[in-house]
Amino acid sequence: MRSDNRPPLFLTISAIGGLLFLHLPILLIFLYAFTTDERTYQFPPPGLTTQWFAVAWHRADIWPALYLSLRVAALSTIMALILGTLCAAAMARTRFFGRDQISLLIILPIALPGIITGMSLRSAFSIMDIPFSTWTILMGHATFCIVIVFNNAVARFRRLSGSIVEASLDLGANSFQTFRYVLLPNLGSALLAGGMLAFALSFDEVIVTTFTAGQQSTLPIWMLNELVRPRQRPVTNVVAIVVFLTTFVPILIAYYLTRGGSETAGGGK
Amino acid sequence: MTAAVEFLNVSRHFGSIRAVDRLDLMIAEGTFFAMLGPSGSGKTTCLRLISGFEQPTGGVIRIFGQDCSAVPPNRRNVNTVFQDYALFPHMNVRDNVAYGLMVRGVDKRTRLARADELLGLVKLDDYGKRKPGELSGGQRQRVALARALINEPRVLLLDEPLGALDLKLREAMQDELKALQQRLGITFVFVTHDQSEALSMADQVAVFSDGKIAQIGTPAEIYDKPRTRFVADFVGSSNVLSSDMAAHFGGPARPASLRPESVRIVDDGARVHGHVTTLRYLGSGTRVVVTVPGGEISVFLGKEALLPEKGSAVGLTWDSQAMHVMEQD
Repeated sequence: MRSDNRPPLFLTISAIGGLLFLHLPILLIFLYAFTTDERTYQFPPPGLTTQWFAVAWHRADIWPALYLSLRVAALSTIMALILGTLCAAAMARTRFFGRDQISLLIILPIALPGIITGMSLRSAFSIMDIPFSTWTILMGHATFCIVIVFNNAVARFRRLSGSIVEASLDLGANSFQTFRYVLLPNLGSALLAGGMLAFALSFDEVIVTTFTAGQQSTLPIWMLNELVRPRQRPVTNVVAIVVFLTTFVPILIAYYLTRGGSETAGGGK
Repeated sequence: MTAAVEFLNVSRHFGSIRAVDRLDLMIAEGTFFAMLGPSGSGKTTCLRLISGFEQPTGGVIRIFGQDCSAVPPNRRNVNTVFQDYALFPHMNVRDNVAYGLMVRGVDKRTRLARADELLGLVKLDDYGKRKPGELSGGQRQRVALARALINEPRVLLLDEPLGALDLKLREAMQDELKALQQRLGITFVFVTHDQSEALSMADQVAVFSDGKIAQIGTPAEIYDKPRTRFVADFVGSSNVLSSDMAAHFGGPARPASLRPESVRIVDDGARVHGHVTTLRYLGSGTRVVVTVPGGEISVFLGKEALLPEKGSAVGLTWDSQAMHVMEQD
């Protein structure tokens, strides 16, 4: 689908300008991970060094934060995969009273500002006397991770012909065989994509986490705290690169998995 | 004659809707049975009751004499060709066809050999490696057929299987289905809303209306001797004469049906005179609508016939036995 008409020069320039405005700051983050200047971000950097990677590696406060972030992201992804798929299956395959309303309620957390989700969860936890733990963070993250998986799965269910499940049963397969040989292969890539996006979202979430983490700090929260303290600043940039890679790679894979299909992959947040 | 499928006072209600209403039905083994009716008449629900995807709210369904209300779809010796074919999009054609044997634990070599045999039967020998998405509508239909036959069902259910095909292909597939059924000798139960399809393929036709069977019989019986106005109307746009008109034309004072192709336009000895109101060209001939005292009569004229002009006065006649008195209104 290549058009022979060339776009006007003005449009080309503004498009390139817009892209540069969006992406140059990210390159700057990378650049400052290599600067020799420890306190200020002066431009251009006075010199380049790779010492900050070693410094970051030996910093004891990074590892627990990284570990917590990975754990939360992994667990909330698993939770979202199970609950999101089940919800999608219910929505796609049966009609019941209040179906559209419930569907809206499932999607709502992603439309709701994170600050509202965070505040409401925090007050709920304090009313119910639930102490802050990995599980409270997890519950916060699950609210939006489920939506991501749900959206991907529901779109795939809609594209599948409803009768393939019946066809499988008709040919003598039991429910397990039908799931294993018919549903799973068809849902697989949508679930993988949904799971990766959910993981990426959870891994760099700050707002909901600040309300539900208590004294614990995930990697993004650690970074936020670090920016306030002018000590070994480039270490933060090194961590930023790690966060970038951990979230960007899954999103890229998710993009390629769902490309060519009509399903919605991400959806805000 | 063994009954392949029997319905004894079977009902299936969805809330207040009676999709199938106290239905009795007997389908003899080895027949090509058509369920004909407009959408919403309950024919598809009947098919799903046989396949087990619907449960009757009342009555008993027997398949080869066995009450099957407690038998789930995957344990019934009945297979279905779905309306949208429902092929598994991620499997190639061979694996699709072999699926029924695969889930039964038949080893790979045996099941693929059998799949190839069935693909031969439906004339798709070289298509085994393709995905369903790479096939035409007609080819998908054959794959669905082969897949449904691999478990050697005693009853094959077909849900409007030709609905998505264009006219020429549909006619070719009608002949093939009929030939296949005769070769295999198994019972085919076929749902359609196309009366010509039902009449040309089936041994027995059940005409459905509002969850009930309006008439059941051979295609000739259904076509020539419709029992009700509905059947006369639905199976090939017949003339339905009111009881007054029927009495006027020398029959008993009961509604009667009169096939348009039985009516002739004549100069002398006409039973009734009227004016031509519409001429509709149908390809194989022309349908002429004539307004007569008390109603309208359609006349079907073949290619060679001389067409009257619109608005002209014509005389109509027909053989006395062409007028069929209906049992009910």
